[in-house]
Amino acid sequence: MELLVAQLLNGLVYGVLLFLMAAGLSLIFGLMNVVSLAHGSFFMLGGFIGLSIVHLTGSFWLALILAPIPIVVLGVLIEVLFMRPLYARGHMDQVLLTFGFTFIFYDLVQTVWGRLVQRLPTPEALQGSVQIGVGVFSAYRLFLIGFGFAIAILLWLVLERSRVGAMVRAGVDNAAMAAGLGGNIPLLFTGIFGFGVALAGLGGVAAGPIIGLYPGMDAEILIPAFIVIVIGGMGSLRGAFVGSLLIGIADTFGKAYLQSLALFLIYLAMTVVLLIRPQGLFGIKYSDVSITSAVTGTAVPATARRRLAGFIVLAVLLILPFFLTDYPRALVSEIFIFAIFAMSLDLLLGFTGLMSLGHAAFFGFGAYAVAVLGTLFGVDAWIGLVAGVLLAAGGAALIGFFCVRLAGIPFLMLTLAFSQLVFSVALKWRDVTGGSDGIALAEKPSFFGLSLDHSLVMYFMTLLFFVSAFLALQRLINASLGHVFVGIRENEQRMLAIGYPTRVYKLLAFVIAGAFAGLAGGLYAIFNGFISSDALYWTASGDILIMTMLGGAGTLIGPPIGAAVFLLMKNVASSYSEHWLTIIGVIFICCVMFFPGGIWGTVQKLRWGGARS
Amino acid sequence: MNILDIERLRRSFGSLVVTDDVNLSIAPGERHVVIGPNGAGKTSLINQIGGQLAPTSGRIALRGRDIAGLSPNRISRMGVARTFQRNNLFHNLSVIENLRLALSVKFGNPLDCFRSTDGDVALLERARGLMRQVHLDGDGARLARNLSYGEQRQLEIGIALAGEPELLLLDEPTSGMSPAETTRMIELIGSLPRSLSLMMIEHDMQVVFSVADRITVLYYGKILASGSPSEIQANDRVREVYLGMAH
Repeated sequence: MELLVAQLLNGLVYGVLLFLMAAGLSLIFGLMNVVSLAHGSFFMLGGFIGLSIVHLTGSFWLALILAPIPIVVLGVLIEVLFMRPLYARGHMDQVLLTFGFTFIFYDLVQTVWGRLVQRLPTPEALQGSVQIGVGVFSAYRLFLIGFGFAIAILLWLVLERSRVGAMVRAGVDNAAMAAGLGGNIPLLFTGIFGFGVALAGLGGVAAGPIIGLYPGMDAEILIPAFIVIVIGGMGSLRGAFVGSLLIGIADTFGKAYLQSLALFLIYLAMTVVLLIRPQGLFGIKYSDVSITSAVTGTAVPATARRRLAGFIVLAVLLILPFFLTDYPRALVSEIFIFAIFAMSLDLLLGFTGLMSLGHAAFFGFGAYAVAVLGTLFGVDAWIGLVAGVLLAAGGAALIGFFCVRLAGIPFLMLTLAFSQLVFSVALKWRDVTGGSDGIALAEKPSFFGLSLDHSLVMYFMTLLFFVSAFLALQRLINASLGHVFVGIRENEQRMLAIGYPTRVYKLLAFVIAGAFAGLAGGLYAIFNGFISSDALYWTASGDILIMTMLGGAGTLIGPPIGAAVFLLMKNVASSYSEHWLTIIGVIFICCVMFFPGGIWGTVQKLRWGGARS
Repeated sequence: MNILDIERLRRSFGSLVVTDDVNLSIAPGERHVVIGPNGAGKTSLINQIGGQLAPTSGRIALRGRDIAGLSPNRISRMGVARTFQRNNLFHNLSVIENLRLALSVKFGNPLDCFRSTDGDVALLERARGLMRQVHLDGDGARLARNLSYGEQRQLEIGIALAGEPELLLLDEPTSGMSPAETTRMIELIGSLPRSLSLMMIEHDMQVVFSVADRITVLYYGKILASGSPSEIQANDRVREVYLGMAH
């Protein structure tokens, strides 16, 4: 009984922390239609700024009060300087923008506060424990529950009873209408964004004494907060509250009694809710049909000149390895593999207009097929590669079947949920996958009798697969099926009215993209000789999204360029500067703000004066 | 047999009834125009026939087969094509590409993932034929968004005609057009083959009376009157609630 109550209290504590994250996230989404991927970063920053304040003043209470202030300033600056100019362009660009900031904040935190886990001291007054009925409980945890409930009630009062609250509620219902009624919408947006991040910062300080502070906690708190707003209903404060407590308690009990199944069950719950009630338990049904995607590029059919340019690039790639040593050869091989991965995502993102944040799952299917079949069953890596492609295609068919019913942000969230489901399996099914320790392949297979241990053989093997994948996708894009995908991206309603069963075609795009991602994953397992669950984490899906957007989505040449730039940055810039994450973040933010077509899209625009894109 | 028989059709959003016990038939080859003041439920009616909106109850029979509540793509493949009130094109694609997409579903191989579409000469020929039919010959390479407003509406009709429909639904094809563009649109509609049945929503009375075989007047979701143009012109209630306001 005592244990049960203790678990319940722990669940409530976790629920309250989630609520502080989810309330802001949900309000921001409801009002601005932006899923802020940087929201976890504000939580993390809040915690660390609180840590510094405690070190300076020795007072936890001062930290709790003061830490949200710089967070608000930061949030308001980001909203005004970066997000506001993008309002006209649609909310997908804003989502991407917030993702760029996660890199900068991560780097900032590990530079200023280091990489170790640090703990905020529990305030002196609450260090003891309290005897209630059946047992003894930590005073700080009890305080936290009360604190969370007080914030929730306060929020509710403000939203329901005040003039500002009425404006926010009106704005959540209909932004244009609220503006007509005299609300100052830009100011309201800035206010809500600032308020939302303040809550997240507050949550970070409050969490400090319990879960500890470390770089990477941002990505870890963000996902359960997402699950909360999906289950509770995006834009609904009540939903955020109920969802937080539900997930908090379910997660705590799940971990205590179901161990490895807990993670799995929560992702499953989110998936089920999204499928049955896409608007969540308390959410308002909202329409998201007018997704103005940043991507408008069109494949340009091969002309003699383009073909010549292609042959020149190929010739350079064929000669290049003879001027390189082992390490850069391996780096270029890795670029080829990630170029295949990025092109596969581009088929969804750039050509079919579906922004997936779960593409790493299919990469994982391919990689684990090679690794698991190889180590457990002694299957040849090339057969494993074929199996991986088939497995990834099958997995994509299954996951895609559910995802293609949705569009826009719900599509993004559902692909994220499913990929985290796959991730949780890879993490917890240790007997087969090795979890976060991963599996190492005993030896590299031979390639037409040549050993892949030689970097030159590896280079030409990956080059062969990259060129084949590029040509296959190029044919697809220029054939009828590719045109149908582009038609769906441009105007799905019209495609339906013309007679295309667009869901079937979107599923097809999903499966083909999944198969190529599986190919990339399988090749990566062969190349790297090692695969762990890290490669499937949602940030891996984010990285490939960045590569694709950076190079230029909606073109086939863009994603390989993006993969090359990203990996060169990661490997070369990181050896010169510790701050490669910041550099990548800044470049990506600039790309979203000023070059929405990515590198290749911008080159095309300069060459054809925008007539082509 | 009639091409379209609508029986006791009803659609409500909560307490708002946008289609209220509508009965309507269209004979093969008939040009049927639906008129009515704003908010009469004209577009809702077309959306229910086209499958964009599911009716609450009632029957929509296409050559005797009930299509009420089917998905838009199935209804389209059964021979019902439509245009939209707001331009609904593939704005970043060329005219020829717009038409080729529309043709491909019936006359091409949309699942082909290997051969370049430019190789399908028969499809290209059909697209060129459509361009001539909607007076856009020579504009194949232009992007849809670079066309003039009137040309965009012509392209809309070209896309709708691509599947060789039996029934064509036009939602205000001349709205927002200049007088010259309107005249061209009337010509274009007049030149459509008589094998094609037409149901059209229109506000411009010049267009209505130059196209219509029969006219139906909708008023707050209900049918106020239905008959030949002369009958409608002579109908007192129609004059009162609709024509009276327009003149």
